[in-house]
Amino acid sequence: MYGYYDPPFSVEQEGISISVERTGDRWTYRRTSGKDEVERLILGDRKRIIINPVEPLNTPKEITPNLLIEFEKTLLLAGGEKKQIFLTFPVEIGVFISDTGNKNPQLIDVLTLVRQKFTLYGEVSNGVVCKHWKSRLYSVSPILDPLQEGIMELTLRNASSDWASISKAVFSAYGMKLYYDGDVFMKARMDILNRNTAETGFDIQPINGEMKGYLVKDQKIRKEAFGVYGLRKLGFVPLKFYMGWGF
Amino acid sequence: MILPDINLLDFTLYSTSEGPVTPADLIKFIAILSFSIIFSRVLTIYLRRSLKDRVSKDVGEPILKLLYYGTLVVIFISILPLIGLDPSGLLLAGGVAGIVLGFASQNIVGNLVSGCFLMFERPIKIGDQVEVNGIAGYVTDIRIISTLMRTYDGLLVRIPNQQVFTTNITNIVGHPVRRFEYTIRIRYSDDAGAAIWLIKDLIDKEPFALLSPSPSVFVSDLADSWVEIAVRIWAPVSEWFGLKTRLLWNIKKTLEENGIEIPYPQRVLHIKSEEEKKPQVIEEPNENKLEETEPVLNFEERVLN
Repeated sequence: MYGYYDPPFSVEQEGISISVERTGDRWTYRRTSGKDEVERLILGDRKRIIINPVEPLNTPKEITPNLLIEFEKTLLLAGGEKKQIFLTFPVEIGVFISDTGNKNPQLIDVLTLVRQKFTLYGEVSNGVVCKHWKSRLYSVSPILDPLQEGIMELTLRNASSDWASISKAVFSAYGMKLYYDGDVFMKARMDILNRNTAETGFDIQPINGEMKGYLVKDQKIRKEAFGVYGLRKLGFVPLKFYMGWGF
Repeated sequence: MILPDINLLDFTLYSTSEGPVTPADLIKFIAILSFSIIFSRVLTIYLRRSLKDRVSKDVGEPILKLLYYGTLVVIFISILPLIGLDPSGLLLAGGVAGIVLGFASQNIVGNLVSGCFLMFERPIKIGDQVEVNGIAGYVTDIRIISTLMRTYDGLLVRIPNQQVFTTNITNIVGHPVRRFEYTIRIRYSDDAGAAIWLIKDLIDKEPFALLSPSPSVFVSDLADSWVEIAVRIWAPVSEWFGLKTRLLWNIKKTLEENGIEIPYPQRVLHIKSEEEKKPQVIEEPNENKLEETEPVLNFEERVLN
């Protein structure tokens, strides 16, 4: 389903149906998934529709930019160690409209097929509301349904001298960079600073030249997705998340 | 007739230690002050527009107000020599004037000081939902002298800052999450365990019912006519009201679909005949003394002993 489409087109997969058809002198965007139906009118020609995975923080309503991934099993990491694991994260499907040449993309619709739940990270008085996701831990990249789940390659680094017991990680959507092609992929890191605090962030690998906007990983070339948060004109928004209430 | 060559702008209005003050100086003073007001206002509008997407309103507005009034005060003091006033003298006189003004305008000064404290201590912010002095609504602006609120029914209320500062303030959105509660009543004949399971399942399906702090559903009371189930749910402050109104009806519908009903107040009546009441003694049958069971009509005399 992910890709670039020139209207008129119609695509259908896993109960999701997306189409752009000409009605008179205008275009009509239609999307159905389950009981959910969305219709938009598009004025203007030579437009392109881009469907790609976006940060999983837009549905059912954008109330937080933070994603908390709870590990199915608690993980123990020795002091000074650096290890790599694979997690899953929920995927939201974003539909953008852009000028030909993929300039000025504008989000027109976003949907998801996975369960949605929120939680609080920290104290009631000063914690942060996060989107919740429970993930299994994998030592190798798992094969998942790209319309529902993505793969997160997480590099854990314990900068302290003590063992760290890790059961969750919180990420800020402002730093997320998603790549896709057959699967949905994100590369993140988590630095354990001491017994109670950690810092999470995303690895953005700027590649110049022809491969700009692509991620080469395991001899697989993935395309960079347009993000909802990435399109915003950001002020002084931190791209990292400081986990001060434990992990 | 020969008219004397008088330049109106050069004639002396009054003299001070700084020298004579002419109408030209007065015009210059007014012009600079007016230009400064216009400039400060344009600058504030420009900054408000440019910072709109980058800085939240509750942070930006106090900074802009400080910038606006600060600029005006600095310019006003620096142009005072134009009208023959020495700012250092004004500062000296300020002590005495301050006391006089303080007594004369206690309320205004009180509101002004409270306004400054409100801006810096920030117990409430623009956009917050608060309850101040029995008035509940959204804070729309915190000004130097007063705070503006929009009540939930759309009325504009102006509260003097002194009142805001000295009274109890309940900030409804002061914390990121809040809890709400329902009491659900079911019949004694219904399975409370099943009801709790159904309610928990509904809560689990609601995205905004938080996983942590976890919701709690439990039997809270065995009342006269029903079993009470307490339902406590935490939700983000921005979503709790919508969730509360939506979920209650869903709970009612789901319980009814599963044969669990919300009961009416009821009493179980045990009606005993006189025959049952008396000790079992063998008596001579007397047809005239046959006891009759009276139908219970009077609410107060339902239980017949």
